[in-house]
Amino acid sequence: MIKITSLQKYYRTEEVETVALNNLTIHVKEGEFVAVMGPSGCGKSTLLNIVGLLDDLDEGSYLFNNIEVAKFNERKRSDLRKHNIGFVFQSFNLIDELTVFENVELPLVYTNVPAAERKRRVEEVLEKVQIMHRRNHFPQQLSGGQQQRVAVARAVVNTPKLILADEPTGNLDSNNGNEVMQLLTELNEAGTTIVMVTHSEHDARFADRVIRMLDGQVIMETTTA
Amino acid sequence: MTNNLKAVLRGLKKKKLYTIINILGLSISLATSILIILWVQDERSFDRFHSDYTQLYKVNSHLSPEQNGPIWGSSPGPIANYAQNSPHVNQATRISQDHHVTFVNDELKRSVTALGVCYVDSNFFSIFNFPLIEGSLSNFQTNYTNAFITESTAEKLFDNRSIIGKTFRYSEDLFTVAGILKDVPQNSSIQFDVLIPLGYHAQRFTKWGGNGKWKTIDEDLGNYAFQTYIKAKPHSDPLTISESITAAYTKARDGENSSVFVLDPLETLHLIAADGNKSALRMVQIFGVIAILLLVIGAVNYVNLSTARALDRAKEVGIRKLIGASRARLFLQFVIETLVIFLISLIIALAIIFLLQSGYNQIAQKSMSYSLHNISPWIYVGLAIFGTLCLSSIYPAIQLSAFKPIESLKGKSLNHLSSNIMRKVLVVFQFTISVTLIVSTLIIKNQLAFIQQIDLGYDKEHVLTVNLPGEAYKHIEAIRSELKNNSAIQNVSLSGVYNLTDYGHSTGDIEWPGKSKNNPLVVSQATIDKEFIPLMGIELLEGTNFTGLPADSSNYIINETLAKQMGLTPPYVGSTMSFHDIPGQIVGVVKDFHFKSVREQIGPMVFWTRWGAGTLYVKTTATQTRQAIKALETIYNRYPSDAPFSYTFVDAQFDNLYKSEQRTGLLFNIFSGIAIFISSLGLFALATHEGQTRIKEIGIRKVLGASVFGIVELLGKNFIMLVSIAILIAYPIAFYLMKQWLDNFAYKIELSIWTFVVGSVIAVVIAILTISYQAIRAATANPVESLRNE
Repeated sequence: MIKITSLQKYYRTEEVETVALNNLTIHVKEGEFVAVMGPSGCGKSTLLNIVGLLDDLDEGSYLFNNIEVAKFNERKRSDLRKHNIGFVFQSFNLIDELTVFENVELPLVYTNVPAAERKRRVEEVLEKVQIMHRRNHFPQQLSGGQQQRVAVARAVVNTPKLILADEPTGNLDSNNGNEVMQLLTELNEAGTTIVMVTHSEHDARFADRVIRMLDGQVIMETTTA
Repeated sequence: MTNNLKAVLRGLKKKKLYTIINILGLSISLATSILIILWVQDERSFDRFHSDYTQLYKVNSHLSPEQNGPIWGSSPGPIANYAQNSPHVNQATRISQDHHVTFVNDELKRSVTALGVCYVDSNFFSIFNFPLIEGSLSNFQTNYTNAFITESTAEKLFDNRSIIGKTFRYSEDLFTVAGILKDVPQNSSIQFDVLIPLGYHAQRFTKWGGNGKWKTIDEDLGNYAFQTYIKAKPHSDPLTISESITAAYTKARDGENSSVFVLDPLETLHLIAADGNKSALRMVQIFGVIAILLLVIGAVNYVNLSTARALDRAKEVGIRKLIGASRARLFLQFVIETLVIFLISLIIALAIIFLLQSGYNQIAQKSMSYSLHNISPWIYVGLAIFGTLCLSSIYPAIQLSAFKPIESLKGKSLNHLSSNIMRKVLVVFQFTISVTLIVSTLIIKNQLAFIQQIDLGYDKEHVLTVNLPGEAYKHIEAIRSELKNNSAIQNVSLSGVYNLTDYGHSTGDIEWPGKSKNNPLVVSQATIDKEFIPLMGIELLEGTNFTGLPADSSNYIINETLAKQMGLTPPYVGSTMSFHDIPGQIVGVVKDFHFKSVREQIGPMVFWTRWGAGTLYVKTTATQTRQAIKALETIYNRYPSDAPFSYTFVDAQFDNLYKSEQRTGLLFNIFSGIAIFISSLGLFALATHEGQTRIKEIGIRKVLGASVFGIVELLGKNFIMLVSIAILIAYPIAFYLMKQWLDNFAYKIELSIWTFVVGSVIAVVIAILTISYQAIRAATANPVESLRNE
């Protein structure tokens, strides 16, 4: 599904150029659950942003489902993103002014799904993450774990082929963290490809494969299964 | 769409302070602007209700234009006939007016004192549109004692509505009501309560002996007694018409004429004076600009707050972008937000307008009413919304579409620099307007105080004027001594001057040895008695007062200006002059005094005694005024009169003279108050925002030992710097505007730097007070809280 080859990414300020990712090559197969680990500043989040088409790459090739997307313009990226990729963040990134239901509904609104269909799908996914009873609450009224479940629901409501999770349990206690990991595992078992950045060895154990990075390069890959 | 709207409404509810400030600022600025626009609209609407108003002109008489002679709004009777002979003129009509008249319904023993009677030519209604409610136009001129009366006068004078054919008395004659007219709109330059055929006036003129050799109004070339109006043929040149009128008049005077008759367009009559003085027009333009500026100040608040908040909202926008929101959708959200705020503000503004309407009409002395059908305020409001949308939505939208969503999620916000610069520019702009208005208000206030304190050359305090009933003048000496014996009355005089503060009865009928043939001197004239000069406290510079003896009839007292203009050399007393063909000598010279508004230079003036004088001047004291009025009323009621007893104070007449300036001053006070209030609201919100966005910085500084004062200074100094820049920009603008305004006064204050300094200090103090609250709050907050939040 994802074939990134010889990826180079630099960060430039006025005076210095830092290499964020250096000659990096990774492949992710459809239906795989991959964890990316490494110390802070090793480039794992940058990699995730490039995979999610939120950031450009400077050199190299990126095939998404065998289509070269490295040179896509913003419009094409946005289009590809909203139909194929769901995001889950450490800080949940829910919109404070919208209710749980409306937050989850948002991706469907942007893909012009009719209202009745939206309602059905949002309710279905809220049931799945067990947050249906709080559908009319606002994010601030929920616990961290509940907020992250809403974020996961929002990420999957459009049935994306790929979910990118950036430290999804970073802001959660172990119980809530486990719940979220359980949820991701279930999604993976149902066929969704997941790429997750994490610091937690515990979380990484949920993945099929762990990629370890240092200084913008892959230094080790291990299979957990 | 509903999703957007919900988010917008919830966002507004969550950020209560911003929402209240935005809506409050916008509603006040919208309401004030619409009210001012109504006033401007009303001022510009004068005389435009006549269907052919673009073709209508009034004939002004320029007496000796080469020598800067006076300009009168009236002209001699035959002028209309000359105009009618021009091939470019469709119609010409004359109006002669009696002011402050009393109509009597003898049957009901009821009298009505009204504004005026107009004697009109038979073609009056084919030029002007004053709709007739009852009666017929064709019957009007058949009888010279027919009258058309306005609806409200009819109501006051008669009991029921079927009054056609009923009679009322005016002056000595009975008039028959031949028709009822709709009340004359307040935005008409021609004002009347009753119309009477001009034939009546013509007959009376002839009956009273005419004017010298001229026995009819159609012959009389000497009296400038008529307002002459012309309806020109379409596309004709007013200059050609004016030249043909002047040529015809010169021919009729056998070539001896220095007057030029000029056509003054009816549509600008109200705003441009006959002498070309455009101060009224300028005021309308200034208020128009103020209306727009107030709207802009309110909109600027909105733009400033929404761009400031765009930073807070970067995260939300980032999420939306990430999930797949298109640029158009994001833009729509900003647009919806702006529209919602404007809509709420507009509703509040309309409520404010309806609440304030009557009070505003009182201040503006108008009878304006706001209707939702009135298009032009909507145009301004529409433009304001569009402009605000452009600045507040497009700007952030462009920024938002350019930034990468992931950066906003990481906490990196929009391009700080450019939005900061824009906000700074806008704050400077708001305060420039505010400071300009504050300084202008101070200057207007100083000039008004100066007018009040100016040495008029006479004592206006505690002087009453009364016009007695006609019968009373037969016993005037007895009345005079009765009043003088009253302990409440210090002195009594009889004068032809009905209003000393606005006295301009003038004539060119003055000769003296050595006067050149082409000298166009026109002098003001006042008939007085020997008590007038001492009663009014007018200073005699040279010579003596009148004596009350028959010899007074060929004696004249003149003012300094006339002595100079006649080219006399001191001592002036003993010089000879002839006035209205009666030769005599100058017995006294009085110090110049203001017998007109201080807008004008003091002109030449002659005091003389020959003609009858009808206004009683009574000098009393502050404590005995009531008693004096009572004594006058008792005497007044002894004689039959149509009009009830009334009196005026000279100092009230004086205040009346500057009513329009006082109104201007009051309105400037209000507008500058509103401008500074709205600007301060914006500043307050920005200071709040600044405090919030720099909360971490403030926390760190405090942990490192910064004092509260140091932090307040840190937050405040940028804003004070902006206000200071605004002050520097405002100075030349205020200086220019106020110099223009002061140029309308012949006697005026000097523009002092202190006024500007005081204005600036006011602005800075307001700004400091506004910022301090938020800055102190931010500075005294517990740093542990702010750092923990991070």
